[in-house]
Amino acid sequence: MAIRTHHLTFPLSAESARTLRAGDMVVMSGQIVVTAGLPTHHRLLGCLDDAEPMPMDLNGASVFHLGSYSEEKSGEFEILYLNPTTSTRFNAVMPRLIKGFNWHAVGGKGGLDRPCVEALQEVGGVYLSFLGGGATLHTKAIRRVIEVGWSDMLIHYRLVRLEVENLGPVTVAIDAHGVSLYEMIKASQPV
Amino acid sequence: MAITSETIKRVTADLYDRSLRFIPKDSKAALTKADRLETNETARHTLQTMLKSADEAETSWRFVCSDSGVPVYVIKVGTQARFEGNVRKAIVDGFAELVASIQPPLLPHVTNPLTLERGHSGRQMPIVTFDMVDDCDFIDITCSPKALGSGRWSAMDIFSFPDLPTIEAYVLDVVRKAGSQPCPPVVVGVGIGGTFDYACKLAKEATLRPIGQSHAEPMVAAMEQRLLAAVNKTGFGPMGTGGDSTATAVHVDYAAGHGFTPVAVTFNCWINRRTRARLFNDGRVETIE
Repeated sequence: MAIRTHHLTFPLSAESARTLRAGDMVVMSGQIVVTAGLPTHHRLLGCLDDAEPMPMDLNGASVFHLGSYSEEKSGEFEILYLNPTTSTRFNAVMPRLIKGFNWHAVGGKGGLDRPCVEALQEVGGVYLSFLGGGATLHTKAIRRVIEVGWSDMLIHYRLVRLEVENLGPVTVAIDAHGVSLYEMIKASQPV
Repeated sequence: MAITSETIKRVTADLYDRSLRFIPKDSKAALTKADRLETNETARHTLQTMLKSADEAETSWRFVCSDSGVPVYVIKVGTQARFEGNVRKAIVDGFAELVASIQPPLLPHVTNPLTLERGHSGRQMPIVTFDMVDDCDFIDITCSPKALGSGRWSAMDIFSFPDLPTIEAYVLDVVRKAGSQPCPPVVVGVGIGGTFDYACKLAKEATLRPIGQSHAEPMVAAMEQRLLAAVNKTGFGPMGTGGDSTATAVHVDYAAGHGFTPVAVTFNCWINRRTRARLFNDGRVETIE
């Protein structure tokens, strides 16, 4: 079966997310938010509990486990490189964040577990797999840095909202209908 | 004549810098071969994008991956090599100078395992191992940076008088646990025997062997072939989203030990970052890769 490649505008809506099927590919344009920090995710959980104000509006955002090097020059941030990090280490915190902030697109590399798959299904969200070791390609798709949140944190832990054009293609590895390529692979392995 | 600390400082820093900006020729050839054999269309697409990323990094001389890992050096010291100045300090100084000057800058990945503080320096960083090699008048330095992406999934266990099926079942068990996470297609290194520490070293150094170069002993080479076929039947595929190409190679090495047999399994991601140079007593520096 031929691969379906979708050119979509981000942040992804629940409606668009539900048109995607696991195994499809997506080329992304629009606004995304990136961070590679587990401490950042814990801080966001704190925001859901009103521990501190949100550093930026993340409701309905498309938030990816992408590490980036951001540099401030004369008040403007520039991204020097961008690349995915392993998502599985965020498994424990993702269901609550996905549901709490209505994230219709998350991603990184390596996948997420069953509770995350169910959270994505509940809100109408997908998990997108980026190419690890694709820093040069991913970085070329950046058009500008829109805002940086929690710039007091380590560089790659910061929340960075980017405008991108033709980022990808990335693979829909978990769709909004509860289908995970990661689970399918394990289920079909020889015993 | 002697190998000076200044040369060691310059070469080790350069090896790390270069290792971040291109993928070794054998990795590229292995990906091209995997693309030819792969039956999953999405997987083929991912493999082709990997090759494109590799080309783009070489052309632009930028980092292939944002995670520069930590610098790891495997150094073989010829018994006839002579030194002028300190060796260990030269490597530490070379890393510090590189951190201060490299463009684009490195993210602060060096982590204190007790406090989780991150920066660009730390106890015993860079990680260096030295071995003596008889009848050589040079030192051979391999740089193989290591990051969480593939580094997190290494494992070892110790068995008592295991048979080969037991050892191979354990390797596959570790591969299944690593699953989609270590940026496949990976190079799998397996170290069998020796002692607890030595098996891990064997596994690490096995990943540095050129992809596809079989072990010299037919029994081990046959094990490598069986394991590679079995790993590629797991179906994880490129970036773990499905396909036939989960590993480009399984390299096994072993050492005699006692009845207890450690089996160590480690992974390098599809890039398999690796640079290497030889430094001679007369001042020559031979860049091997």
